[in-house]
Amino acid sequence: MVRNRLRLTCLILVFVLLLGAAAPSSAATISARFERTLGSGTAPALIKEYGGEYIPPIQQRLWLEEVFARLTACVGREDVEYTLTVLNSREANAFSLPGGYVFITRGLLNLIGGDEAQLAAVLGHEIAHVEKKHGVNAVLRQMGLTVLAEVGALALDFISGELVRLAGATLVQVLQLGWGREAEFEADAVGQSLAVQAGFDPIGAIGLLDRLAQVNSSEEPVHLFSTHPDVQQRRQRLETALGSFWSEPVVVGDSKVLERLNQGRNSDQSGRTDPKGRYMLELSGQPGGLRVFDEQNREYVTWVPQASVREAAWSPQGDYLALLVEAEAGGEVWITDRWGYVVEQLKVQGDVAAFCWSPHGRALALDVVGPGEKRVMAAYLGEKAYVEVSRGLTAQGSCWLDDGLYFLHNGRWYQTQPPEVVQVRIDHPVPVVLQRKRVLNPTLIKEGNTYRLTRPALTLP
Amino acid sequence: MAKHGAIIAVLLLSLLSPAAMGSAAVLTDPTGLYSTFIGDHWVYQAHHSSTDLMVFYGEADHELLYFQRLGPVAYSSARDFAQRSVELYGAPGGLEEFQLVGDFQAVEVAGEWGVSCSYSYQDGQGNTLWEYRIFLVLPGGEGFSIAFSDSKPEAADLPLLLEDILHHWRWLF
Repeated sequence: MVRNRLRLTCLILVFVLLLGAAAPSSAATISARFERTLGSGTAPALIKEYGGEYIPPIQQRLWLEEVFARLTACVGREDVEYTLTVLNSREANAFSLPGGYVFITRGLLNLIGGDEAQLAAVLGHEIAHVEKKHGVNAVLRQMGLTVLAEVGALALDFISGELVRLAGATLVQVLQLGWGREAEFEADAVGQSLAVQAGFDPIGAIGLLDRLAQVNSSEEPVHLFSTHPDVQQRRQRLETALGSFWSEPVVVGDSKVLERLNQGRNSDQSGRTDPKGRYMLELSGQPGGLRVFDEQNREYVTWVPQASVREAAWSPQGDYLALLVEAEAGGEVWITDRWGYVVEQLKVQGDVAAFCWSPHGRALALDVVGPGEKRVMAAYLGEKAYVEVSRGLTAQGSCWLDDGLYFLHNGRWYQTQPPEVVQVRIDHPVPVVLQRKRVLNPTLIKEGNTYRLTRPALTLP
Repeated sequence: MAKHGAIIAVLLLSLLSPAAMGSAAVLTDPTGLYSTFIGDHWVYQAHHSSTDLMVFYGEADHELLYFQRLGPVAYSSARDFAQRSVELYGAPGGLEEFQLVGDFQAVEVAGEWGVSCSYSYQDGQGNTLWEYRIFLVLPGGEGFSIAFSDSKPEAADLPLLLEDILHHWRWLF
């Protein structure tokens, strides 16, 4: 191995001396060609190792292609032609090779389901590896060519043959180990940014990490993790970056917006009115929970009896109820489902004085007091991620409308907007082809004066 | 004589009315795009259906009827829509043993012209199914599809069942 490396270095040095003053632009082209050769030479063996190529059903394929096309339309490198291959493996994994070869397994696709933001996050991460040349640099580093990386590529292109084979073998080895800790962090950041540029929600990267961590701890290990840095660190960095995708707060001058804002939060309808019309909330502010009148059963029930509820508001779609609860450290927000069971407790540093729902019902704006200044935080439910949207400005109150999140600073309303999310739309869709599902009929058995329904027996075709 | 004529006319009308067609019900798409009469033997399938898709099971084992809204599409014509769809149905990842049965034909659905075609393919259990499908690009560029499938080859021709549904079809725009 050492002899090989020495021979290789000598070869490259000779070629570099011979080629001398090659133009930098042609060096870049040659480097891209070398990457492509390296990637295309390695891809077939990897595809085979992962059970071959999997062709997803039409609808899923069109969706995948659209997400991928939107991402690759935003890349910086013009010398790379990106291709996406789905691998027929149940293992949840994704990786990329120099030259623009991006791979995702069927297992990871199943895990992601229909979440566009999460798919964009994983593909963005893999594209970022190619954009930043993590693969080719790791190979050259492994081969002891760190310093000669760029110039070496120039020479390598002319040597090809044995050298490319050797580099390919090294690539497979390096791929098993990962491109390196810093490369992974960089791919996370670049991938998240790429997703935003392509119109996907950057929260997808955090959601994906959480989902993978859940699977990793409960079921079979996820290979995607074995070569990556600590999940908590990656999550923390991604969460910190979220704030950078929100727009800078600007003073609101539009009188119509100001009129609406001055009417106060939830001006269109009280957050206490159940959008689905079943429950009526009665807030006392006293310990002993939240008294709720259930219109359907015509009775009063008490939810979260252990808490003292200061404020309550239904999500716009009525699927969740947010409660401002008196806790030891001050106000805290709890989220319950429609039956009053707490599904999430939002933990922020400081006392939550008030809150309001985002129009899509997936996040909340929290007015937080201390430590330090009063500020407004956007809290993403599910992912439990927080963004300080007031950007250091003292904020006295907030209101989240369709066109952005507003907060009051020194008597003036400021507006800030979350990153724009554009839902995937397929220009040339194809109708679904359905088949009848087997209908399972339960059996009715009479037992004395009662009837019992048996579980239908499922017979596999 | 005139009285007899009136009675005969009422009888004829009642025979022609949907209520006399072995009992049918008016189906109005919840999104307000179309309505038609659906015979009672078609059973609505909530587990298959969504806002954009309405699915019905017929009496026979494989009888299936469904209408799908596809939202705005970039197809310039119904023929392009049909051609691309058929191309993908026959490509890898599409339908097993896909075979186009007959050429594309122009078809009118309540004043809107679309393209129909029929094809056969194999389901997961190895049964050969025949499907008759209409592709439409509605005003405003919305894609729409009507499909009928069965395990009988007759499904490939415009079946009588579907003919009746199309006869009562109304667009609500």
